[in-house]
Amino acid sequence: MLPTKKTPPKQDLADLTVLVYGRSKIGKSTWCSKSDGALFLATEPGLNALDVFQVPVSSWDELLAACGEIAEGKHPFKTIIIDTVDNAYRMCSDYICKKFKIEHESDLGYGKGWALINNEFHRVLTKLAFMFYGLFLVSHSQEKEIETRTGKHTRIVPTLPDKARKIVLGMVDLILFCDLEVTKDEDGNPTYRRVMRTKPSPNYEAGDRTGRLPETIDLDFNKFIEVFNAPATAHKASASRSQVGSGDKQSKVPASAGK
Amino acid sequence: MMSGPMLTTYSMWSLFRNCRKACDWRYLHELVPLERDHNLSFGSLIHECLEIWHRDRELKRVLDHIDRACPNQAQDERELRDWHLATAMMKGYAARYPTEEFEVVALEKTFKGKIVNPATGASSRSFVLAGKVDGIVQIGDEFFLLEHKTASQIDADYLERLWTDFQIILYAWYVERTLGLRIAGILYNILVKARLQQGRGETEAEFEERRRRLAAKSKTGKSSAKRKLPESDEAFQERLAAKYAEPGMFHRETLYISRDQFAALQAELWELTQAFLDARRRGVFYRNTAFCFHYHRPCAYFPLCRSGGSPNVIENLYHKVPPHEELRDGGGEPPQANCARRANACCGRHNPPRQAGTGGEPQDCLCGSHIEEAPAF
Ligand code: SF4
Repeated sequence: MLPTKKTPPKQDLADLTVLVYGRSKIGKSTWCSKSDGALFLATEPGLNALDVFQVPVSSWDELLAACGEIAEGKHPFKTIIIDTVDNAYRMCSDYICKKFKIEHESDLGYGKGWALINNEFHRVLTKLAFMFYGLFLVSHSQEKEIETRTGKHTRIVPTLPDKARKIVLGMVDLILFCDLEVTKDEDGNPTYRRVMRTKPSPNYEAGDRTGRLPETIDLDFNKFIEVFNAPATAHKASASRSQVGSGDKQSKVPASAGK
Repeated sequence: MMSGPMLTTYSMWSLFRNCRKACDWRYLHELVPLERDHNLSFGSLIHECLEIWHRDRELKRVLDHIDRACPNQAQDERELRDWHLATAMMKGYAARYPTEEFEVVALEKTFKGKIVNPATGASSRSFVLAGKVDGIVQIGDEFFLLEHKTASQIDADYLERLWTDFQIILYAWYVERTLGLRIAGILYNILVKARLQQGRGETEAEFEERRRRLAAKSKTGKSSAKRKLPESDEAFQERLAAKYAEPGMFHRETLYISRDQFAALQAELWELTQAFLDARRRGVFYRNTAFCFHYHRPCAYFPLCRSGGSPNVIENLYHKVPPHEELRDGGGEPPQANCARRANACCGRHNPPRQAGTGGEPQDCLCGSHIEEAPAF
């Protein structure tokens, strides 16, 4: 019953649970679409420009039905992408309201409605994350005012409601914040580069449990995979190369979140 | 390298007793949530105001302090709410206690003492206990600890629960030992938070809707209703002032301490030190999941425990803050920057007491017999 060996760290991107968030149209879905055996559970329109396998999902019931089929395993897909997880959460909320015949989450009193929604959301995401597929969750970004002990500041966070956000942050291996990095060329004109930020900062949420990624990386799936799959010894070197090359030294501050 | 005994507070021991894991997160990993708990910060502001009031007895200084603590009230609704409440509360307090039956001996007094094994009289080599009391006052020839509390309401449960406030009783013992004053008891100084809300007025749409409904009910088919405008700051302060003139908004309760309570608490504290040493040696701080929602809201470490200690959660939702900040002196910084009650989000002592009807009560049955089942997943 008890283990005799340590669980090896997850090596393959397709084993991981990943949150990809950032402003609209920055390229989150395109990035996800390049993953191995991608299947989109499309909870919002917007994938039309992409040539991808997708299940249009308009309710939580439909999402559950799709997840049920995925769990049966009779398909070639390897990475499940919920695009967007924000909409999935809203569907979950509608589903619970309908189920308990209430108009609003607060109608059950004492926060019970919210708790039921969060439990259902947590249950389904956890179950999906435990399956033998990669799970990518896509979210938009927003600026949130954070009140800390030392004052207030704004931080870019996924658009999920607070409790749902905490659930998602707790279950993902990678939190990738898609951002526009602004640098100035020789003439002082701003130039923009699409990047993914992988390490947390006071200005945004991000994270990398694998420890394989540089702090900033181009928003390009092939480059990402190259770095992710590089041998462990190469990670540090590649991380510093990537940072030096990207002008990270002076430009850690993201452009505004957009939506 | 030899390091001295570990500095501890009763907040730490109380947390260790309630949930060892929470104690581990706070006192060994030194983590606190990035976002400040608003309830704790209002309580801190009032503590600061009371310290100023009892030191100088100048209301203007107290009100200036509140103004400085709420610099963004013009743009921030919550700050404005705090400003109104704190201002009215302190004006009401000053009016209620223009003179005091006690003399202030000390305010915000820190102490540090040995933890003693009551069975042998030997002192712990691993731990010392430190703390800070809100005040020490003298009434006649007796000394009391002054303990401020803000409460949402004072009922019988609240008052009876003061007897279980072991921390303050233990602190009384240490104050006796370290300052050489015989403490007869505790004077609880309780200030009630008024629940009044500033009238926000009606939007044009809300007004139109109300007028339409009134007109529909009226025989003439018309209504002379006027749009409700937002309540001015002056009008709201007047309403709050009237509330704080009511007798139930401030309360003083004196509890005398029996000497056997000291002995029992000494023994309990010693036991906790032994259990802590054992947990630390074995690296096992088990979770008391019965405590996760003890105050009818999630424990400050709930996202962390639920994720199994995910580094992503630690790095994005928490930050490191050295423990026992309550023991630091002002050191020239504004009081709110130092206040441990703001930092110790999981400190059992300063969580607001349970309010009647705020949670836990069973709701209507959520019978699911009529519910359409979703596809199984
Ligand atoms: S969440 Fe529960 S188990 Fe975890 S530290 Fe808090 S009280 Fe303990």
